Amino acid sequence: MKRILAFSLLAATIVASCASPGTTGSSPSGSAPTGQHPKIGLVTDVGGLNDKSFNSLADKGRKDAQAQLEVDTSVTESKQQADYVPNLTKYAQDKYDLVIGVGFLMQNAVWKVAKQFPTVKFAIIDGAPQDDGGKTENLPNVANLFFKEQEAGYLVGVIAATMAKEKTGAATHNTVCSMGGLPIPPVDRYIAGYQDAVKTVSPTTKILNGYSQDFVDQQKGIEVGKSHIGQGCDILFQVAGGSGLGYIQAAKTAGVYAIGVDADQADVAPGTVITSALKKVDVAVFQTIRSVRLSTFKSGDNLFTVANDAVGFGKLDKIVPKTASDAANQALADIKSGKITPKDTVQVK
Amino acid sequence: MTWEMLLGASVAAATLRLAAPIALAALGGVVTERSGVTNIALEASMLVGAFFGIVAADRTRNIWIALGVALLAGILLATLHAYASITLRSDQIVSGMALNILALGLTTYLDYQMYGTTGTPADLPGLPDVQLGFLKGVPYIGEAIGSQNSMVWLMGLLVVALQLFLFRTVGGLRLRAVGEHPRAAETVGIDVRRIRYAAVLASGALAALGGAYLSLGVAHSFTDGMTGGRGFIGLAAMIFGRWTPVGALAASLVFGYGNALSTSLQGATLGDVRVPVQLLGTLPYVLTILAVAGFVGRSRPPAADGIPYETEGHA
Amino acid sequence: MTQIQQPTTTGPGIERPAPSVRQLTFQWAGGPAIPVLSVVIALIIGAIFVLFSGNDPVAAYAALVQGAFGTPYDITETIVSAIPLVLTGLAVAIAFRTGLFNIGAQGQLLVGALAAGWAGSQFAELPGLVLMPIVILFGIGGGAVYGGIVGLLKAVRGVNEVITTIMLNYTIVFVMHWLLQAGPMTAKNAFGTPASTPIGAGARLPVIIPNELVLFSRLHAGVVLAAIAVVVFWFILWRTPLGYRLRAVGLGARAAAQAGIDPAHHMVLVMAIAGGFAGLGGMIEVSGVFGRVYDGFSSSYGFDAIAVALLGKNSPLGIVFAALLFGAFVHGGAYMQSHAGISSNLVAIIQAFVLFVIAAEALVRSLTRRRGRKPVEAIA
Repeated sequence: MKRILAFSLLAATIVASCASPGTTGSSPSGSAPTGQHPKIGLVTDVGGLNDKSFNSLADKGRKDAQAQLEVDTSVTESKQQADYVPNLTKYAQDKYDLVIGVGFLMQNAVWKVAKQFPTVKFAIIDGAPQDDGGKTENLPNVANLFFKEQEAGYLVGVIAATMAKEKTGAATHNTVCSMGGLPIPPVDRYIAGYQDAVKTVSPTTKILNGYSQDFVDQQKGIEVGKSHIGQGCDILFQVAGGSGLGYIQAAKTAGVYAIGVDADQADVAPGTVITSALKKVDVAVFQTIRSVRLSTFKSGDNLFTVANDAVGFGKLDKIVPKTASDAANQALADIKSGKITPKDTVQVK
Repeated sequence: MTWEMLLGASVAAATLRLAAPIALAALGGVVTERSGVTNIALEASMLVGAFFGIVAADRTRNIWIALGVALLAGILLATLHAYASITLRSDQIVSGMALNILALGLTTYLDYQMYGTTGTPADLPGLPDVQLGFLKGVPYIGEAIGSQNSMVWLMGLLVVALQLFLFRTVGGLRLRAVGEHPRAAETVGIDVRRIRYAAVLASGALAALGGAYLSLGVAHSFTDGMTGGRGFIGLAAMIFGRWTPVGALAASLVFGYGNALSTSLQGATLGDVRVPVQLLGTLPYVLTILAVAGFVGRSRPPAADGIPYETEGHA
Repeated sequence: MTQIQQPTTTGPGIERPAPSVRQLTFQWAGGPAIPVLSVVIALIIGAIFVLFSGNDPVAAYAALVQGAFGTPYDITETIVSAIPLVLTGLAVAIAFRTGLFNIGAQGQLLVGALAAGWAGSQFAELPGLVLMPIVILFGIGGGAVYGGIVGLLKAVRGVNEVITTIMLNYTIVFVMHWLLQAGPMTAKNAFGTPASTPIGAGARLPVIIPNELVLFSRLHAGVVLAAIAVVVFWFILWRTPLGYRLRAVGLGARAAAQAGIDPAHHMVLVMAIAGGFAGLGGMIEVSGVFGRVYDGFSSSYGFDAIAVALLGKNSPLGIVFAALLFGAFVHGGAYMQSHAGISSNLVAIIQAFVLFVIAAEALVRSLTRRRGRKPVEAIA
């Protein structure tokens, strides 16, 4: 008897919930967007909102837009790659105005969903729509948000090289290094620019490079850091998300310097982090949302570079000498004017 | 590829640093499985130990209180497992898995709520390193053990202590009896349930120590999921080490060595061929399989391991 | 090493009749009325968490259910999420039946996916009638080999399968990094997405629900393969002599088998079959969902499979239902986040409590004090 009761209770609950108003899923409460404002959806990749990298920056952009732009926003974290398509689709089905996907792994998913919903606008961070055969196909309702990470890498590389050359503070060994999470292009572009700058500004400086094989594990980052410091490195550039925090930690313990990535990481280790290579994903997201608000949405490639102030270098620690900051600002101007084009392939693997 | 990269003092030092959290988790595994309870939620205890240790360090700015809080968190989590496994006689694997999911979800959730996207504060107190000044200048040993974290030393002490406890004391004998023949143990008056509870709680504490080492001793911060599967590697190390503390340490060292190599060999070349950096990541795992297959072979768990025990007089 | 002890009261001539579908359903249903109650208890605990976080539990659960089953599209997505879990669940369950703990479904799935992805792109020009069976075979074969290694090491060197499966899981992750980022399987594509060359059209599992019925559905023919796999699982265990022996060993509880009662060749065979199931799951994901192998596409199918297998009591229909439950959590959970603002981690917490309470069903069982006919115990 009790079994039947339990079964029917559960069945009734399910049926009742399914029968709630709105088969397209507008929820009666919570933070679901209502009203006349444009609806913006953000779908993160599997790294989670707190990945200390692109997802968190994109979410910051979303929150900034929510606060300043009179839009209603919502975010969905993808738990596995197979979720990209349904997460994007649900927003599109609910007639969102803009759906943003984070990361190059979403290129095919956005392509699929954007084709199915031509009246909904989409944006991809770090990618362009890719068809099932792997070919890029620009779509009229998709904005491809690309960043030139190598430019940011170049700028911080100039600062590092100058300090190494002049043996500023604790940087006495004329050796700089970098650590990526995995050797994938979004990571390697940073490192490529960094190394290009060092080779240009201070050809005698020794360059080291390594990978932690992980974007979360801090201990692995510390180990690579210790290894590099053991080989004389004084300025450690991290490009490894959460794992990179370990790289910074190793620098802090050894009393040398580190460079942050993506967001300004000066607060992670004051006195150790001399600057950061900025990739203003939040700004790009904000601007894209605003373009929808103002009906100035531009599909196809949208480049975010030093030219539109979307990549750059972050707060400088007081130890950074004026020569370094001057050189960096000069390099910034040179990149803007086209005089310098930072390389995007890693030379010291 | 140089000898330095394979066997240098810095590699030895790294091996110890990397092996410590795994060994602590493995010690926890040894204690519970010797008493007959399978605890695959060591990962969960590590994670909550890591997280709540950081929170306590942030709030109290006292490293010792923080360590105590970390221990408490690990023990509390293990209590859930103990209750489910011993009192409720649940399936111990499912219970352990549920707790792993719970711990990850809970710590990630609280981390985001409390520290948002700015992360944990930069200047938290940490577990101190033990600087052996008198070893400065001593070749190899000086660098290998001259400045390891206090937790690494504690781990070593615990290995010795637990080995002695399990195999040289009456208490240890009782524990092992409970794990091998609980029915027989009960007939001679040993309280099976109490010992198993104590063992599971102890495993939670040991695992939490491992987690606290990661957050308070190594990283001085917390990132979501920072234990990264070390609790499970610890289980493997426990089996590899034949359910003995010394064996667990040895196994953890093998694994730690593989890990250390995957860093030190980056950039190394064998003749003209560079080992791809991604494949270096397989080193600790392949090394462990080879070591077990080559040297350890069969290992037998305690006879009553994983079987819920029904005491006499209960339904 | 002691020989396997065959039960003497029954023998090859006196076989227990294979359970019919109705019996299997009843077996499992006799069980899960209790788990259903357990789920309700767990949901109440979860509701407390939701309240604590300042959200409305009723809205949250409504969103969860609505997200998982609210529209036909959602139902198909829940099924799509469940399919790989069915297969990895079978992979874990068949090993459990013999007393082996297969934590390696994760790795076996990936090897199957890589093998299938490779074959699908290597022979891309072949027509579907030829290519699809090839890809399926590669998927099953790849997983079977990876599982077989585990069985072999245990049979020959006595290496505990818990060690080898955990180690092999991690190993293939890094090998996959290499293969898809800078190795022989890396596709030449823009922006360096770490992925393999897309498979040929003949290797793609078609979507089986026409757009007129359910718009944009992704429900692919893999569901048919999964259903066949479930039948195969049942057939092997209840209709073959091998299956009979496996079940007999399994009845002696995991610990007994761990003590070394398994004969060598059974171990290799069982782990290879288990790996084959998981490998098929990987192949289905590549062929039905992605069209190529993306680095890291499988985050936790193998891990969740352990819970799926145990929740489903290692029985075919139980696994299907448990997989659907997990699929509902995945798909409904996303909706809970996007439309009710519930953190995705709260979903995980609720899921954990559901598992936890179900694991404790012994207690709930005794609380409801069964009367009358004892439920037919699911075998092992």
